[in-house]
Amino acid sequence: MTDFTLSRRGFLASACCLAAAPILTPVTFASMPGDKRFVTIVLRGAMDGLALVQPYGDVGFAAFRPTLALTPETGLIDLDGHFGLHPSAADLMPLWRSRELAFVHAVSTPYRDQRSHFDGQDMLESGGEHVSEEKTGWLNRALAVIPRSDARKAIDVNTSTELILTGPNNVDVWASDSNLGPARDETQFLQRLYAGDPAFAKAMEEATRANSASMVAEPGGPRGQKVADVAALAGNMLKGDYRIASFSITGWDTHVGQIGQFKRPVQDLTEAITTLKSTLGPDIWSKTVVLAMTEFGRTVRENGSGGTDHGTGGCAVLAGGAINGGRILGRWPGLGDHQLLDERDLAPTADVREIAAAMLYRQFDVTVDDLTAKIFPGVTFDKGSQFLRA
Amino acid sequence: MSLSFPTMAAIRFGYGFRPGEVAAQNKDDLLKQVNADARAPVAFPVGGIEQRHQVIADLQANLRDLRQSDDDDQTRRERRKVLQKQAQRTFQQDTNARLLQAVMSPNGFYERLSTFWTNHFSTSANKSLPMRLLVPLYEAEAIRPRIGGRFADLLRSATEHPAMLIYLDQAESLGPDSKGGMRQKKGLNENLGRELLELHTLGAGSGYTQADVRAAAMVLTGLTIDRQEMDMAFRPNIAEPGRHEVLGVSYGGDRRRPGDYLAMLDDLAANPKTAAHICRKLAVHFVADQPDDGLIAAMTGAWKKTDGDLRAVYGAMLDHPTAWANEGAKARQPFDFVVAGLRALNAGSGDGTVVAFLKDNDQNDDAQAMGAQGAMAPGAPDMGGAMNGGAKADMKGGDTADGSGPSMIDPGDENRVKRRKAMQTARALGQGALRRMGQPIWLPPSPAGFEESFSAWITASQLAERLGWARRATAQFGQGLDPREFLKATLGDAARDDTIRVVSQAPNKTTGLMLALASPEFNRR
Repeated sequence: MTDFTLSRRGFLASACCLAAAPILTPVTFASMPGDKRFVTIVLRGAMDGLALVQPYGDVGFAAFRPTLALTPETGLIDLDGHFGLHPSAADLMPLWRSRELAFVHAVSTPYRDQRSHFDGQDMLESGGEHVSEEKTGWLNRALAVIPRSDARKAIDVNTSTELILTGPNNVDVWASDSNLGPARDETQFLQRLYAGDPAFAKAMEEATRANSASMVAEPGGPRGQKVADVAALAGNMLKGDYRIASFSITGWDTHVGQIGQFKRPVQDLTEAITTLKSTLGPDIWSKTVVLAMTEFGRTVRENGSGGTDHGTGGCAVLAGGAINGGRILGRWPGLGDHQLLDERDLAPTADVREIAAAMLYRQFDVTVDDLTAKIFPGVTFDKGSQFLRA
Repeated sequence: MSLSFPTMAAIRFGYGFRPGEVAAQNKDDLLKQVNADARAPVAFPVGGIEQRHQVIADLQANLRDLRQSDDDDQTRRERRKVLQKQAQRTFQQDTNARLLQAVMSPNGFYERLSTFWTNHFSTSANKSLPMRLLVPLYEAEAIRPRIGGRFADLLRSATEHPAMLIYLDQAESLGPDSKGGMRQKKGLNENLGRELLELHTLGAGSGYTQADVRAAAMVLTGLTIDRQEMDMAFRPNIAEPGRHEVLGVSYGGDRRRPGDYLAMLDDLAANPKTAAHICRKLAVHFVADQPDDGLIAAMTGAWKKTDGDLRAVYGAMLDHPTAWANEGAKARQPFDFVVAGLRALNAGSGDGTVVAFLKDNDQNDDAQAMGAQGAMAPGAPDMGGAMNGGAKADMKGGDTADGSGPSMIDPGDENRVKRRKAMQTARALGQGALRRMGQPIWLPPSPAGFEESFSAWITASQLAERLGWARRATAQFGQGLDPREFLKATLGDAARDDTIRVVSQAPNKTTGLMLALASPEFNRR
């Protein structure tokens, strides 16, 4: 409780006060045992699933990624003899061993061919079959059909409501000022933006060198800590009246120098999950599911700048005490001849929406009809879904 | 011209495109904005011009009462603090209103000209307590109504306004040999006389001498303020008797009259050096740091032909081909950047999200401020601190919540907290951000106004502040906007291929919007 009080101070100082009241009634914390929790983390920028969970057992993998592929000899943490976890996620291994962590490989939304972040995230959050088909977020629509009203209270831990929780149903937004800081993958975009304009390129270079406080955070800067703050904030809200929380982690758009760039967002994700677990405590964690997902994966081959470009099939992360984990889920399509989509991307074998549908079904008893008609129109989901066993 | 007319007109001569607003299609559209009948009433001073005169007179009465009271020092300090707080709150509302005015006005060229002339005839709200209330009034009643007419009228109106008389110490200047001067043992203050020649009319290095400066100051004596009504006044008993020669022309006599300084102002306005100075300054501000000689010649020609009709001068500028060449040669100054950003984000016709937010915040402000004294967090700046502490104080009060101790969170009054946060956000995006960027509204660093050159505004720290602002503003107002469409709507054909590519490839929408506002072409004009 002492720790909590301290961290509460910490985030109150930087949080928007729209929903100040609930957090100030500590007596209600954990007052509803038995209630399940659901956290979504949107990994914005297209997380490279093949870097997070590397198929080192595939013969061709190292050839596709001469500078990026790792092996257990070079630091990869073996998971099951075929896949290995990126070393920056080492702190997740205790969860893997206690079966509170699973990865779903080769998943994607129904989005194909275009590979735009905006449209991909739009699909991921709206839950539709096509871009802009749904105007509201799937998690918001789910709020309306969750049977027990006391399980409906949802919080969006972002600067503004993000699409996933946008819609007619009431959602509180806790803005953390940390979200206003620069995302790490912003730097390269700014450099490209200014490449053709010497005056701005010079100003940008000086600003980067001076590491101005409000500018580009150096790798290893304080932002990782801030993601932990956001996760702690979400965790504390879930300990109170809230049952659903969502936040984002950025920094995944690793077109250049991925070997270095990828580390920080992975550390952020790792810290977010471990912070949620420690904040929630064993009892609530045992009833919690965390789903981290991204708009699409990245190319199987590394590009000419030591990075990867926009792809299709990616990886989703499931964590929580309510997970039957310690496994790689999904169907692995392989990386052999003719197995890649368009000869460049990991071929998706499952719809990320099916995972989300299974979690809503399990955690909140949302009906199959509601899930397939209202929340994820067009999704294939029934009581036999492989993800209900996750 | 490599860009379309509407794009050049909006970016170089206005505050950028606002989705839903009809853009100027030709030079006549731009010039029409300067016509009086095209103008909506100005949004500041809050409460209107008439009411502001009364509020200023009330403040003066309160200050006089305070000076004459028998209260102990502690009580007087506290009473003064209350008056300061009220004035500061009104000033904040006015800065917000000025921002709104520029964001909402469909007359971007007129708004830009208002900014130019308010800066040309600089006054600062930092000078004294009543100046917080006077400077917004000065722009509204002395500058804006005159900038479409003759320069001579604008010069007189600016020079005679109490804001100018206080700012450049004319109210402290007495003829040393005048009856009033001898009785009070006070003498000449050259400040206004000097700036009148150096900044407002002839220009530095144009050939006038120290003797001219002193003589001009002598001619100006008698011109002062009535401290009760805070209005300009002419008092012959403090005017320096005799004749005073400025640039070879003699003004005054045994009996001094307002006509003396008015004749001098007219002569200065008619001096060809003034035309050259002002035309060049306009061209530098609107077109290029090193404007074309032909452009300036065309403008001074129009000045000469029309006896200083500013509308004709603007017309000559707009008619010249170099006014439409070299797009992006100038930097958008911070106020320009912030206004253009808010206009870009204020999607939809009428009151878009930005304006609705600022207006809402404005209405809430009174109720908020009433309760704010009790809720003012320890460490939050009081009004003196906010004024004198400059960037640092405003950062604390407006930009972060770190000044908010436990007293700020009152479970019983969520709304107050919400309003306070909304006000902080508005300030952080407006005056607070402008302070940090070095161009706060009505607070110029010197009588010469703000810096003008490209290199003054495009620096590392400036860029960092602009990126921070872009992040905050897009997070606040960017919801539902597609960066690709946003870029097109706000920059039109000024968007470079590079920028279009980078923005459309951004890792998420918020970053995409931020990159559009961070792009070189959005920061140039």
